[in-house]
Amino acid sequence: MAKKILITNNIRQFRFFANEMTQQQLAEKVGVSRQTILAIEAGKYSPSLELAFRIADAFGVKIGEVFDYEVKGE
Amino acid sequence: MSYQEKRTIVSIITGLFILVAYGIYAFEKYQSGVIAADDIKAWAGIMLVFIGIGVVLAIVIQIVFHILLSITIAIQERARTGRCGDDKEIEKTISAKMVTDEMDKLIELKSMRVSFIIAGIGFVTALVTQLFNYPPAVLLNVLFISFSAGSLLEGLAQIYFYRRGIKNG
Repeated sequence: MAKKILITNNIRQFRFFANEMTQQQLAEKVGVSRQTILAIEAGKYSPSLELAFRIADAFGVKIGEVFDYEVKGE
Repeated sequence: MSYQEKRTIVSIITGLFILVAYGIYAFEKYQSGVIAADDIKAWAGIMLVFIGIGVVLAIVIQIVFHILLSITIAIQERARTGRCGDDKEIEKTISAKMVTDEMDKLIELKSMRVSFIIAGIGFVTALVTQLFNYPPAVLLNVLFISFSAGSLLEGLAQIYFYRRGIKNG
C-alpha cells in the first residue's frame, strides 16, 4: 500500500521575511481567497502544483524552499 | 467566517425554507382531502410550483446577500482605513473577498458527491415504495424530498470541508 505523504510548508516564515506580508496580500498576489492561504498554511489543504509554483514565485524562491513533504508512518 | 461559508449557509436556509413550506402545504392539502394520494397530476403541479418558487427565491436571496455583503465590506473597509470616497480600493477588497478558487471547486465537487448519494438512495427508495403498492404520490414525494435533502446535505458537507480542510487525492 502506498504510504501517506504529508505536504508541509514554510509560508508563514516567508510571509514574515517578506515584510510581514498579510495572508490577504499573498492571496491577491496568487489569485486565490485568503481562506485558501489560511488552509494551506495550517496544512488543511494541499495546493495544486500550479498554485504551489505561484506561491513560490510570489516570494521569489524555488518551490522546494516553500513546500516540502514528510512520509507518514516511517 | 469566509464568503463561501456565508453563501452556503444562505443557500441551506433557503433550501430548508422551501422544503418546510412544501411539507406544510402538501400535508395540509392531503389532510383536507383536496388532493388524493393517487392524483399524480396534482402532486406534480404542486412540486413544479415549489421548484419554481425555490429557484426564484434562491436567486433573489443570493442577490440580496451579495448586496448586503458588499455594503458590510465597504463599511468595514471605510472604518479600517478611515477614508471616504476611495471606491476603487473598496471594490478591489470586495472582489478579493468574493474570489472563487481551486479549493472552492474541489470542495464543491466533493460535496456534490454527497448530494448524488442521497438522491440515489431516494430514487431507489421511491422505486421500492411501488413494489409495496404505495400510491404514486409517495414515489413523487420521496423523490422530491430526497433531492431537496441531498441539496441541503451538500451545503452542510461544504461547511464541514471548509472547517475541517480538504486534501487532494
